[in-house]
Amino acid sequence: MSEPMSPWRKGPAVPAMPKRWRQLVVGGRRRLVVIRAAFTIGLAVLALTTPGFLSRPSLSALLTTVSFVGCVAVGMTLITLSGNIMSFSLGALVGVTAMIFTAASNWGGLAFGFAAALAAGALMNAAQGLVIGWAGANPIVTSIAALALIYGAVEAIGAGATVYPQADVSYGIFKRGIVGIPFEFITFMFVTVIGQLILFFTIFGRNLYMVGGSLRAAEAVGVRAWRTISGAYLWAGVFSALAGIMLAIRYSSADMDFGLGYEYQAIAAVLVGGTVVKGGEGSVVQTFAGTLIIAIIEVVLLLKGLRQEWQYLLAGLLVLAVVVLQTRGTGD
Amino acid sequence: MRAFLRTDQHVRPLGLLALCIVVLTLADWGQGRFLSGATAFSTFEIFATTGPVALGLGLTMMIREFDLSVIGMFNLAGCIAVITGGGSPWIGLGLALAAGLAGGFAQGFIIVRLRLGSVAVTLGGLLVFNGLALVLSENRSLPYDNMPLALDLKAPLAAVLSIRSVVALTIFAVAAVVMAVTRIGRDVIAIGSDRRAAMIAGVDVNELMIGIFAFSGVCAALSGVLLSYSLASASVSEASVILVPAAASAILGGVSLGGGTGRPLGIGIGVLVLAVLGTGFNAIGAPPYVNDIAMGAILLTVAILDGPYLIRRLSGLRRRAAPH
Repeated sequence: MSEPMSPWRKGPAVPAMPKRWRQLVVGGRRRLVVIRAAFTIGLAVLALTTPGFLSRPSLSALLTTVSFVGCVAVGMTLITLSGNIMSFSLGALVGVTAMIFTAASNWGGLAFGFAAALAAGALMNAAQGLVIGWAGANPIVTSIAALALIYGAVEAIGAGATVYPQADVSYGIFKRGIVGIPFEFITFMFVTVIGQLILFFTIFGRNLYMVGGSLRAAEAVGVRAWRTISGAYLWAGVFSALAGIMLAIRYSSADMDFGLGYEYQAIAAVLVGGTVVKGGEGSVVQTFAGTLIIAIIEVVLLLKGLRQEWQYLLAGLLVLAVVVLQTRGTGD
Repeated sequence: MRAFLRTDQHVRPLGLLALCIVVLTLADWGQGRFLSGATAFSTFEIFATTGPVALGLGLTMMIREFDLSVIGMFNLAGCIAVITGGGSPWIGLGLALAAGLAGGFAQGFIIVRLRLGSVAVTLGGLLVFNGLALVLSENRSLPYDNMPLALDLKAPLAAVLSIRSVVALTIFAVAAVVMAVTRIGRDVIAIGSDRRAAMIAGVDVNELMIGIFAFSGVCAALSGVLLSYSLASASVSEASVILVPAAASAILGGVSLGGGTGRPLGIGIGVLVLAVLGTGFNAIGAPPYVNDIAMGAILLTVAILDGPYLIRRLSGLRRRAAPH
């Protein structure tokens, strides 16, 4: 996705922008902060004044369901930050790692199940990252290819059906939660903290921001961009696999429908949280906020009696608005 | 003649198509399951579903953009047509196509005016269109009470075609003629090859880009409407059902991910290759996953081979491997 840096680089044509558009764009940054703050406050007021929102079952259900997509969104954040926009195969990865976890736990116990699912998620995604970073393959097309390959492979192995845990495998300890907070949400918070620590306190994290900001500049100062990009995909695979494992535990079964559409919900959370779609700017904590914002909207809509489909439409409009407002007139 | 074979962009996809047909014929030797009228008919039915979507997506790829929203528009148009076409199917068709035109135009306008990346904008478009389709259909299958129309659309014409596939073939023919004989064809290639140079040479880049996104929206909408009418129902289908084959056929048809290459007829042949593979595997009794794996492998291979760093990396490896 890199561009040569000569002034004659290929890329969007650069006609003088009409003045009113330029103003919208240049002022966009500060305005976006104000819009986001106003939106969040408005949403909080709306949520708190909606009867039933603060009830315990409602909150507990919210925290549980938000966590599955949330983990995928944290992983997607790393991919977006690396300058590769999004991966279309993370949803399929959630389904397949859920199945691997269940099958492997049946065969060799829970610990083996965890190891197998996490390793499978990491490997499958790192392979994509390698192809994208090393050969410069188009990330969108690569992830679409991976999507088709994962679905094909799962069917070929004959596991098109649902996998169930054997009677002697017990997930009981994971279903309890701590001081009333569901185990899934604790995992989501843990993943967020880990992701944020990786971004802010490791060389890999620093490189990731550089590669996402400008791949050529990063390579010029000696960053091996393909390693960084592969690393971003690898972590995204690990976090998505965690989502798959949690789903398998929660529902005591696993099939390919588990991650259906997660990639879209995840990228929506990433963008609503404020990570820039071109990469190089944003954070995992922002994605955490983005995930919660979308989830709160969903619950408020449901409590107000609107069908769940409205949530998808609203999320889409939010993403479109964020993409349009995010621009700073730098092209691409 | 040899120069023609080497440079004409239709040769590679045509060769692939011939190869697929030969291999499948050999695999089916003497059993007559593959080379039959029924297989040809279902091949063209698949062509009618993915063809227009692939054409619109392929054109956006030719100008170095990518229209993700085609899947959303495909779903939305089907729902609009089925809901509003209760009285007359033409009204449903008209409204759905208008939605496709408006949606595509709006996205093209945003991309050009705000100089935003097409993947980001059309991702927003995809989520909005899909959200609208889900709201309209309430996430269930909408029935369409016009069985005669469904049967008419699916009735065989000249043994292997149907009204639906004739419509799809016509779009390809019109697009091919327009691209071959008018300035638009050359301008599209110019924008995809070097946008700045094209602008300096006097191509109206912005107008043409908006036009292509609008065309892509209309194509996706048309495909969605025809499929919903012929199935007598509309529902929101999964992204992979249509996006994977559409992108794969455009790439097989000679559209490079770097822009600037590809022809409408090439894309059409690319769609046929995948359709032949799909029906062929089915006819000779191969399990359905073979198709998925074949498509994924093709896409991945092309993505790697089209990767801009591949040559440099490989020569770097060779240098390191060679003794000093």
